[in-house]
Amino acid sequence: MRLKKPAVALATAALMTLAACGGGGSGTDGNAEEDPTFEEGGAAGSAKDPTREGPVAVPEGASEGGTVTVSTAVAPTTLDPTRAYYVDSTAIMSDLVTRALTQYVYDPETNDMVLIPDMATDLGRPNGDNTEWTFTLREGLKYEDGSDVVAEDVAYAIKRSFAIAELPDGPTYQTTFFLDGDKYKGPFKDGTDYAGIEVNGNDITIKMARPFVDMDYYASFPAFTAIPEAQDDPETYGNSPLATGPYKFADYKPGSSLTLVKNDQWDPATDPGRLQMVDGWEFEFAQDTAKFENVILNDNGSAQTSMTYDNATPSTYRAFQQEGGDRLVTGSSPCTFMWYLDMTKIKEIEVRQALGWAYPYEDAWRAGGEIVGVTRIGGTTILPPGTIGRKEFDPLGDGHGGTTTDPAKSKELLAEAGYEPGQYEIKFLFSSDDDLSVAAKDEVVKGLEEAGFKATPIASTVETVRDDRTDYDSPINIRSSGWCSDWPTGGSWFPAQWEGELVGVEGMPNPANFEEQYADDEQDRILDELTPEEAPEAWGELDEQIMTTTYPAVITGYSGTAFIHGSKLGGVENDNVRGMPTFGSTYITE
Amino acid sequence: MALSATELAADPATDEPRQTSQEVAGRSPTRIALDRLRKDKIAMACLAVVVLFALIAIFAGTLTNLAGVELDAGDPSDDLDQFNFPLVGPPDNSFTWAAPFGIEPNSGDDLLAEWFYGARTSLRVATTAAVLATLIGIVVGLVAGFSRGWLDKAITFVIDIFLSLPFILVALSVSPILVSRFGNSPESLERAQLWALIGVLSVFTWMTLARLIRGEVLSMREREFVQAARVIGVPTRSILFKELLPNLIAPIVVSISLGLPAFVAAEAGLAYLGIGVVGIPSWGQTVDKAVPFFDSYPLYLYAPVIGITVLVIALNLLGDAVRDAFDPKTRR
Repeated sequence: MRLKKPAVALATAALMTLAACGGGGSGTDGNAEEDPTFEEGGAAGSAKDPTREGPVAVPEGASEGGTVTVSTAVAPTTLDPTRAYYVDSTAIMSDLVTRALTQYVYDPETNDMVLIPDMATDLGRPNGDNTEWTFTLREGLKYEDGSDVVAEDVAYAIKRSFAIAELPDGPTYQTTFFLDGDKYKGPFKDGTDYAGIEVNGNDITIKMARPFVDMDYYASFPAFTAIPEAQDDPETYGNSPLATGPYKFADYKPGSSLTLVKNDQWDPATDPGRLQMVDGWEFEFAQDTAKFENVILNDNGSAQTSMTYDNATPSTYRAFQQEGGDRLVTGSSPCTFMWYLDMTKIKEIEVRQALGWAYPYEDAWRAGGEIVGVTRIGGTTILPPGTIGRKEFDPLGDGHGGTTTDPAKSKELLAEAGYEPGQYEIKFLFSSDDDLSVAAKDEVVKGLEEAGFKATPIASTVETVRDDRTDYDSPINIRSSGWCSDWPTGGSWFPAQWEGELVGVEGMPNPANFEEQYADDEQDRILDELTPEEAPEAWGELDEQIMTTTYPAVITGYSGTAFIHGSKLGGVENDNVRGMPTFGSTYITE
Repeated sequence: MALSATELAADPATDEPRQTSQEVAGRSPTRIALDRLRKDKIAMACLAVVVLFALIAIFAGTLTNLAGVELDAGDPSDDLDQFNFPLVGPPDNSFTWAAPFGIEPNSGDDLLAEWFYGARTSLRVATTAAVLATLIGIVVGLVAGFSRGWLDKAITFVIDIFLSLPFILVALSVSPILVSRFGNSPESLERAQLWALIGVLSVFTWMTLARLIRGEVLSMREREFVQAARVIGVPTRSILFKELLPNLIAPIVVSISLGLPAFVAAEAGLAYLGIGVVGIPSWGQTVDKAVPFFDSYPLYLYAPVIGITVLVIALNLLGDAVRDAFDPKTRR
């Protein structure tokens, strides 16, 4: 899954961060390694409960009514359910507006997310070799206009997700795993005749081209909602998608605000995961961070029912810690930040390893507004901690650990590759209109120069940095970005970013231009030959193999979350699958 | 209300003889103005402050070395606590000469060094922009005022166009253009941003002076000394710069002295909007970065704000005094 604001490592004010103190009231030193919630980060949502039934019990102390205001510095580019793939758009749509086949709910006992059924009666029934999945739709599901949700609509929504040209930016696993996924181009080009989906009464059967064990997780994406074909216009559907969940769109101004009101057609008895306690939601996008943080901190009037899904800045984090109480929600999110080294430009492995020793980990994080050990933790593996089958290893050795900067080692490696100090030029992007990005850039330049590189930061702006980074013609040889799990195994990591076939594809899904035969072969072997039980382990091995033999990326830390809310909000927990608040269970207290 | 005849007659009758009897030696208007200025205590105090800031700006490097601090030398992992707040220096920790103004949260850079160099940037931008704006204003104003017919009309039209351009909008649009044009080379981007800032400031301020001078020239070009110069065949250029310009010293000096504080404030304001020089410290940039910390680490914000306020007030009061001194209508 994509990060909220993908320019992250250099460009943001701690938007995706890794938190230590569960519940925030502890006020201790925030050493993440000691925190169990952090270790579980990558395993987010691995628990499943296929029998969960609605309605959800109303929590004690919850009152009915009121409006929750959500302020954020970022803005989702689209809220079309098929295109929703950023963590914020996915959370808003899944938790409040569009129901999918499965969903996640928060489990207070394990402080983890649990995968439960949503519009389907269970988590799907695979055949023996995971090449066919059957979901059965519940009875009594209705759209906001009162019409019935039928299985054909879900089938249409799935077919719609193949229309990548018309509906870009969405998840694309269907093209890899579903039958004819590489040929079918969606209902707008190829019509609705698609052999991969069969509808029989309330049963929806999805046929796969290769075994797909994680289909139940994938079915929780908003792309697996129901969309009536008659009401679909790919250009405009995202501005007013038909609600199946507890809230519906009342007013949506892309990039600035979204107002949700109660959907009276939603029946709590059919929904095992969501609450409908508040009357409405007011999302305010692209707001000034300092302003809304202060409003929430002061907690007056309507601020008591306000929240944000951005991570608290260090000074605000400190203020909330001193205040105590439970207005600071912290937890993990299964994301890894990376400095993707362009394999087509930085060809010598010594140079790539030298960069691993040169990167000023802690300095750059702090200058960029991260709280080290709380919102950013160093690491050495592509898979974040807790991912099933993850293997702990240190590709650079010598106690590097993902946080050690050693200019001498870097110079040594550069000399081995035949470069004098100051000869090898590293070009990377930063946003010149973002103070934190500039400050982090200064630290990186300092670190690189000390380590014997020539550093040339290329200026961009917050608005253009994403396009500049995914442009194959950009004069940069390092790309700063990251990736978040879509489900807790390596299956949502390597085929999405480290597959040779992705090199040259529009949008640059493989930011390191990583194309190695051994990695492609191994991925095919894991996907086609291994059983669901063997696969996670093999992904962990592949992680080690890639990092040790090729070192195509400097791991610049794992992320977590630390968001703040007003004193009258209850049920706000960390959705550690997305690193977002649990909107679906939020209520206003009495 | 009607004036009584006695009041009208009284003043000239009593004043004039006394003055002529006391001031025997001829003195130029500039000389008179400077003498008046010297007697103005507030003006002198303000001048001292301005000179002090000018010295700070000129010797920023030396002062930084003397204070034992360094620009951009922050070491975030050693100097900051867990929440990226400084471990040394006021106000959270005791005062230390190692960081008299404290250090910057997040990056750990020294704020005193940033303040010294910020003064340099502020004054450099303000002075250059003021000089440029004045030069353009003088030349355009002289030419427009002295030429008759189409040239005057054309120049007036251009002045009107520039006056109608929305300042903030143009300034905001220049910044991303520069980044996309010069983004690939950090040094040239820095240079381009500095000159673009100076350019934007001066391009939007020369018009007032140009109009003022045009008006003065219009009234002066029909006077006897200009007519006389023409009759004996003095070339137009000489008339403009030798005959007319010396008579315009007063409005020019006033324009510069009132322009400077406006530019200092404008630089800070633009930096706050994200238009400014990235990489060169300036007070405006520091204010911009410090705003989120205004209640948790206020010293960060106070230093540049106090710097800007004191300098702008001093420059403004000095400007007022200069205007009063050059104005023949004020009597002291």
